[in-house]
Amino acid sequence: MRKVSLFIISIVLLLVLSACGGDGNKEITIGSKTFTEHYLLAKMSTLLLEQEGFEVNETSNLGSTALRKALENKQVDLTWDYVGTGLVTYLGEDPMSDPQAAFDKLNDIDQEQHDIVWTNLSELVNTYTLMMREDHAKELGISSLSDLADYVNENPNDLSVATNAEFYNRPDGLPGVEETYGFEFPDANVNEMDTGLTYNALRDEEVDVAMGLSTDGRIEAFGFINLEDDQKFFPAYNATAVMTTETYEAYPEIEEIFEPLSDILTSETMIKLNYLVDIEERSVDEVAREFLVENDLIEE
Amino acid sequence: MSRNKRISLIVKIFFWAGLIIFFSWAFMNDMFLPIYEETGAFFNLMGEHMLLVLISGSLAILTSVPLGIFLTRPRFRKAEFFAVNVANLGQTIPSLAILALAMGFLGIGMKAALVALFAYSLLPILQNTIAGIDSVDEDTKDAARGMGLTNTQILWRIELPNAAYSIIAGVRTALVMNIGTAALAYLIGGGGFGVWIFTGIQLFDNAYLISGAVSVSLLAIAVDYLFRGMQFVLVPKGLRLARQAVS
Repeated sequence: MRKVSLFIISIVLLLVLSACGGDGNKEITIGSKTFTEHYLLAKMSTLLLEQEGFEVNETSNLGSTALRKALENKQVDLTWDYVGTGLVTYLGEDPMSDPQAAFDKLNDIDQEQHDIVWTNLSELVNTYTLMMREDHAKELGISSLSDLADYVNENPNDLSVATNAEFYNRPDGLPGVEETYGFEFPDANVNEMDTGLTYNALRDEEVDVAMGLSTDGRIEAFGFINLEDDQKFFPAYNATAVMTTETYEAYPEIEEIFEPLSDILTSETMIKLNYLVDIEERSVDEVAREFLVENDLIEE
Repeated sequence: MSRNKRISLIVKIFFWAGLIIFFSWAFMNDMFLPIYEETGAFFNLMGEHMLLVLISGSLAILTSVPLGIFLTRPRFRKAEFFAVNVANLGQTIPSLAILALAMGFLGIGMKAALVALFAYSLLPILQNTIAGIDSVDEDTKDAARGMGLTNTQILWRIELPNAAYSIIAGVRTALVMNIGTAALAYLIGGGGFGVWIFTGIQLFDNAYLISGAVSVSLLAIAVDYLFRGMQFVLVPKGLRLARQAVS
């Protein structure tokens, strides 16, 4: 009996101690979506915040709308997201192509309606893209989305496309592209699959066109080209940090902590980092750490 | 009314009430909108889903039942341990992992999904076939032998009719699980109702999620009832009465 109560007491003590261990009150939950770039951004944020004495929990692998809900419900305090996604998908506004204007509008609406603050607008643009194998695209004479539209209108059943369920249904996804450029892939030619697999499907010639994200390292490695968005349909998808107002007010320093990072994030940098993870198969943790150390943002 | 009957009645009432509440909630909130707004897509997905289940399920039946019969012949008895364990593998590897593995060599699309679903359905049918045939009364078989029936005749006239109940129960289990698992085919571009379920998850749109999930459940229930009917037809009347008498 005594042993049991000793055991219970020690467990309780352990719990109490661990609850007030460290700087216990600076706790934060970072969420991320289901692709490499997001893992990297979440990892970098974690490393930066940990250096400043935060205790960080990571919740990864959320679909973008699930992540947004988690943020609204305060299950996630902070994440990275894209201005265009916020404006069009979360708020149902019209797409805007000027990043700063979109960012300001987003903040106006979101702070008022959902207690969510967008900070650290970066030059990293990760837009949706439709990709083709370079040789195949050349053979068919397609280099832009307008070319694609013309080709599909002439040969409606010739090309098949791979997309995930999100892009296939989002207003700023395939339906919007088809409306803007005036063409339509027949239902039977659309293959819906998990996000990352579209690249493999295109590489293995199982489809002719695939959706991708413009900063993905595989585009270059697999010999794809991004079809040019010549009518500027895709809105500004600049990456920014997003947090709940509560977090923003409790830790105003976060914006400053992230500033040196958001200042150096560009699409080119991100393509390189994604490449290291996806093609060279290095770990997210290693790549994120190395990048921050190289830029003197964290100590080794 | 006995205590058990009363409890089962209460459970039934709660179950049906829950079902009615769910469906009226779903209808009032337009949760089935995708089904009548995109009827073409709905039938398309249903076709794909049924095709996945039909092909992988029939192949599994055509493999497992003969294999089960084969393994219960005295001469090949020793192979049973090996075969059942191989089939076990198909079942114990998480279905998502089988999908991913199959995709590795068959590429993206329905083919890989079929292989995965096939592997997943083998075990329940195989085990129930073996158990069904094993459970046939030795004395009955002896009597048949005494009447001059050959081994093949014993198999067709005595063993299989007696084992039918158990074999079809295995098929039912396998198919119901197969229908549920086929929802994962979306992940590797295999189509089916999984497309709507994952659309619902990715877009946080419950209408898609529920339209997809309810369709999968209804399909599973329909197939289960179909095979219950088949059980009724295929199991000899005498055996059915005997089973009722025991329970």
